[in-house]
Amino acid sequence: MSDERSGLEFSTVIASTVHDMKNSLALLIQTHNQWLPQLPPELLHSREHGIIEYEFARLNGMLVQLLGLYKLGINQLPLRPAYHELEDFIQAQLARHQEVLESRHITARCEVAEFGLMGFFDQELLASVVANIITNSIRYARQDLLVRAWEEQGVLVLAICDDGEGYPEAMLAEQSDYVLSLNHSTGSTGLGLYFAGRIAALHGRNGVCGHIEIRNGAPLGGGEFRIYLP
Amino acid sequence: MLDYSHKRFLIVDDFSDFRTSLKAMLRELGAKDVDMADRGEDALSLCRHKRYDIILHDYNLGAGKNGQQVLEELLIGKLISHECIFVMVTAESSQAMVLSALEHEPDAYLTKPFNRASLSQRLDKLVERKTALQPILQALDKQDSSAVLAACASLSQQDKRYAPLCLRYQAGALRELGRLDELEKLLTALLADRTVPWACIALGNLLQTRGQLPRAQQVYELALKSFPMFPGLYDGLAAVLSAQGEGKRAQNLLEEAVRLSPLAIRRQMQLGKLALENDDFGIASKAFRCAVEQGRTSCFKNPENYLGLTQALTGQAVDGSLDKRLQLDINQTISELQKTYSNDQAVQVRARLAHASSLVLSGDAAQAKKLTEEAVARLGDLQSFFSAEAAMAVASQLRELGQAEASDTLLKNCVEIYGDDPAVMQGIALQTSDPAILGSGLQALELNRQGVRSYQQGEHGQALEHFRAALALQPKNISMALNTAQSLLRLGGEQATPALLEECRACLEVVRIMPENDPRFARYQKLRHKAFGDE
Repeated sequence: MSDERSGLEFSTVIASTVHDMKNSLALLIQTHNQWLPQLPPELLHSREHGIIEYEFARLNGMLVQLLGLYKLGINQLPLRPAYHELEDFIQAQLARHQEVLESRHITARCEVAEFGLMGFFDQELLASVVANIITNSIRYARQDLLVRAWEEQGVLVLAICDDGEGYPEAMLAEQSDYVLSLNHSTGSTGLGLYFAGRIAALHGRNGVCGHIEIRNGAPLGGGEFRIYLP
Repeated sequence: MLDYSHKRFLIVDDFSDFRTSLKAMLRELGAKDVDMADRGEDALSLCRHKRYDIILHDYNLGAGKNGQQVLEELLIGKLISHECIFVMVTAESSQAMVLSALEHEPDAYLTKPFNRASLSQRLDKLVERKTALQPILQALDKQDSSAVLAACASLSQQDKRYAPLCLRYQAGALRELGRLDELEKLLTALLADRTVPWACIALGNLLQTRGQLPRAQQVYELALKSFPMFPGLYDGLAAVLSAQGEGKRAQNLLEEAVRLSPLAIRRQMQLGKLALENDDFGIASKAFRCAVEQGRTSCFKNPENYLGLTQALTGQAVDGSLDKRLQLDINQTISELQKTYSNDQAVQVRARLAHASSLVLSGDAAQAKKLTEEAVARLGDLQSFFSAEAAMAVASQLRELGQAEASDTLLKNCVEIYGDDPAVMQGIALQTSDPAILGSGLQALELNRQGVRSYQQGEHGQALEHFRAALALQPKNISMALNTAQSLLRLGGEQATPALLEECRACLEVVRIMPENDPRFARYQKLRHKAFGDE
């Protein structure tokens, strides 16, 4: 690529490095997976293996999110919405986390309000949001994770809930500005919510934009993340 | 999990480790027949010899063609059926999606890294979808648009999950069938509900063909507000603006589209043309050069790009003189053009004239004269005529190179062959005011118009008389010959008499000179097929 500017902006340096890191990680994960069948069963089901799988997913999710935020910043994040079937979409997200869920002994379920429920959204973008939220939920869930979808007055709602401790009170209180709640204990969660909010807002219909919401309690007793897509 | 033991798989990836691990995953899913390739070119040649059911293609293969180019060539060359599942495997999906053309989208994207559960879930779903869509896809393979419509109607009734997909196939079929009122209704209704990108492009396109340029512009501009990263919308808006005489704005839009998605030969070519019209020779050279380079390995290779590049380079002459470096560049371009299209007589003529025009500016009058004379000598025995646009360009070059007589003859031919198109006549009027050229087709034109009117009113006998009379006056006119042939076949019905068939065949022989890129070429082939049977 020819660059007319004399110096490089730091954000460009980061983005291009993250891009390489992502490729490197992809190769690492893939090689690791090839190697797995040779492991003795006791190692395959060890705690360490669970940690490796989980951190792989987390790292990948963070890199995808970072690239997404970079592109949002320079207005280069492509939005390609289309009609998708919710059950199919949710199953695909759960399949991506199968190893981690198994290694953590978490049962994940998918519930769609009606057969053949459809939504109009950018599959890739929503998938990266959901992946981050699921990764986060896995960290806090005890044994159950539920992804639900339904329609509310023409707006599609996708919710991810767990049976963990729930979101900290401070985060619930500062829903309108997730960046404010960024601190050391909630850093990645807060950034994930910020990213989710931006992606939700990209989706709109007749002037109405999508948004997100977090709450605690029902249906599994832990945290619940909701994304509303008009 | 579905049974994959009878499915034929093809994996295309430049990483051998990845190919092996993907193949292992497929085997775990029960696949038995799995072929592999590491280059797009190899994938194409494999697809020429074997019908694959599922292709998993890496987007970015390093050297050679990328996944999108391979997919386009597979679809255009009909190397895969519509029933084939094509999955684009990417390291980062958003980039690949921006670069994909809307009309040639893969069935799904799969982002690396993925596990077996994801692969299996994805494939199961795609097989389920393709199975449900089978009647539509088979009709598409047969290019039977009416059958596509029927299949869409019944599937979207049966299962509403497929309704959005069916709408898209329906729109395509209505366009093929020329049922434009219904198409407009369908698209407007769809867009009233939501801004769906493909429907915006389809409606913009439709409105432009119907001559409703301001409405088309509005559709595109509205869509671009929601989807500023969609190169197809820039293409559409640029076309509308250029049709409204706003060449400069159109060019700016295409420059943006090319920045978003540079790997698109037709977009680069369009940009080159617009920049030439705007006398922006620097941008034109760059665009045509990209088109030429990408064309070397593509089915979208086009001699116009070499000629455009030559013209853009020649345009960079300062004070009527061309510097050595530019001339050298032109010489190379022309030489590659002549080698690549050695059997195309029309291209050989145009290459020589373009070369001669540049040599005049370099001060090599002798060589320019020699090439011009060669070109004029070859003009006489062209197997197929130029397109109207090319003919006018050639006529203008001939005039500039001092060949006024050859130029007039060419324009006269152009009037005879294409004179029924008002846009062509306007272009010719820019070059000459000779009434012998401009007025030569008027009477035939009126007869042709009367013929069309009679034909539309169902008076096929009368239509034929008008068309015959028109053709007698302008024996090389493509439209009049096609109209006469069509009327003859219509009158003859299933049992056409030998005399009638013979006349019809004679008409069609006339049309042989039509270049293959003419929009009427498909109609010509259909009529030929009817008149000559399977030859």
